[in-house]
Amino acid sequence: MKTRFQKLKIFLIAVSLGSMILALAHDGSAVGQKFKPDLPPAIPADLWELLIPKDNPMTEAKVALGRDLYFDKRLSVDDTVSCATCHDPKTAFAQPTSVAEGVGGKKGARNSPTVLNAMFNVEQFWDGRAKSLEEQAKGPLINPIEMAMPSHEAVVAKVKKIPEYAKRFQAVFARPVNIDDLARAIAAFERTQLSGDSAFDRFNAGDRGALSEEAQRGFELFKGKGRCVTCHEFNASSPFFTDFKYHNIGIGMKASGNFEQLARQVQQMAQAGKLDADALDKLSLTEGFSELGRFLVTRQPKDVGAFKTPTLRDIELTAPYMHDGSMKTLRETIEFYNKGGEGNPNLDGGIRKLDLTEQEISDIEAYLKSLTSERVRRLTQGSSQFSVFSFQSSAVRKYSSVFQE
Amino acid sequence: MINKSYKLVTLAAFALAAFMFSFSDRTGQAISPGAVSAVAQQNQPRHPEAKSDSGNLVVQLCDGKTSMEIDGVREGEVLTPEKAREVAAKMMAAVAAEQSRQTSKWTERDRLTWEREQKRVIEEGDKLFHDWKALGGTIGISCDMCHPNASNTHAETYPKFQTQIKKVVSIREMINWCIENPMEGKPLPLDDPRLIAVEAYMAAQRKGVPLDPGKH
Repeated sequence: MKTRFQKLKIFLIAVSLGSMILALAHDGSAVGQKFKPDLPPAIPADLWELLIPKDNPMTEAKVALGRDLYFDKRLSVDDTVSCATCHDPKTAFAQPTSVAEGVGGKKGARNSPTVLNAMFNVEQFWDGRAKSLEEQAKGPLINPIEMAMPSHEAVVAKVKKIPEYAKRFQAVFARPVNIDDLARAIAAFERTQLSGDSAFDRFNAGDRGALSEEAQRGFELFKGKGRCVTCHEFNASSPFFTDFKYHNIGIGMKASGNFEQLARQVQQMAQAGKLDADALDKLSLTEGFSELGRFLVTRQPKDVGAFKTPTLRDIELTAPYMHDGSMKTLRETIEFYNKGGEGNPNLDGGIRKLDLTEQEISDIEAYLKSLTSERVRRLTQGSSQFSVFSFQSSAVRKYSSVFQE
Repeated sequence: MINKSYKLVTLAAFALAAFMFSFSDRTGQAISPGAVSAVAQQNQPRHPEAKSDSGNLVVQLCDGKTSMEIDGVREGEVLTPEKAREVAAKMMAAVAAEQSRQTSKWTERDRLTWEREQKRVIEEGDKLFHDWKALGGTIGISCDMCHPNASNTHAETYPKFQTQIKKVVSIREMINWCIENPMEGKPLPLDDPRLIAVEAYMAAQRKGVPLDPGKH
């Protein structure tokens, strides 16, 4: 006769097997152990959970696969460029050049935005031409001035030839390598790259000593006289320092170029059915056209020269600034806003002269420098690569075992 | 000859009212599945019927806001194909012009953030309402002891003449009055997040009650 303990054991095994089967049946692409995020304090856990796409659940093995793909230069035509080339953890997942540089040092037209907290963006890219991280990840692979692969089919063929990847894709997605799963894995990794453990976050949680007097004054100016918070929205429910919207502040409008004519050309292309996703991706990195910004996507006159409000987290580490990387320092950037941006017919209504004093500009600068994540700062100082995943030292150990192949 | 004079009438307020009405009209009664579609259709937001005083034909766009009165064409008459095309083009141009003036539109994410923040602040107010220490009380009396569930606080009646203070005050000034007596604390600055949270909690208890400032 079986003891009560044995019965209980059988029952527990049955229950766990049953739930595993249910989990697998729920989504074929979710094979393996669920990824448990180690969220920084400022990131709302429910929001993180909410923004994981239903068709791309987070598993440990998928995140590990995505991480390796993210750093793998073999995804480019000549094995020289990976996602990390332009979104390097050592420079806060951005690139310190004014515009992104792809294969053979080819230059794009826009500054690399950080991957940190990019999962919270409503749309991806400076002009929002991709709706998701998955969609975004597919663009640079085949853009001739970025990773320059001839086609998505060619990417898949190349990855398939690497036996280890072929094996891991099968294990993670239960099907052979394909471009959508490749993008899913990279996106899953990117959803682990978060920022929300800065000095300001400690201050906001009640540690009044976490910010200098200067930075505290800067925070008040940020919300008040500086009018920064209107676009660089910050609150407990959306602590990302962006409204995820598109505004024309005049950057790039001074550069030579007949915007009206360029806009007309884009309209004609669209009407002729020649503006598909690939064409749009190329156009957005073409000098001149690039400056049309959000207009390229919506083709509405109000969006000419409008670009997505970027996050301000880790801003000290992601110079240069603006969509074209045309500003070298934070001070230069604040001074630009102080004079009311660059006048043009499409200037956002919220932009006006601010009349900030030199001291007030310094205060705002000090505040912006308080938005740097401690974890990200450690990454830029060249700590162990495994700390890419952790916010505490204990977590380093936890994840290191997962990602060692 | 086509008469070029026309008027653009914006009926956004009516459309909004109709939309709100469609929500308030829900009875919550159980209805048979067959009846659902009919009732749902009946409750759909409807564009208000546009009529001109002069008896001219009024054309309305599908946005429910943009309409145009056509001089020289009476109600009940049919537009000639040329005239109809001209009218349609003008109205679409007006809509495009309107859209080009709009800056950012509200997004789903905006709504998500607003709802989360509103809920967070109301919950914070709920806590403060039950916590004399957090509001700076000194004798152990908290708001809920006199006003369980914020009863008898009537957020919708402010600003009003408050008999204790002998002037028209905002609800935050009245909360401060209570913080001073009976709670024996010090009044808070009127932009103190705690006062805003308590106000948000009190107002939430009266959600849907019509504003009635000055009511006693």
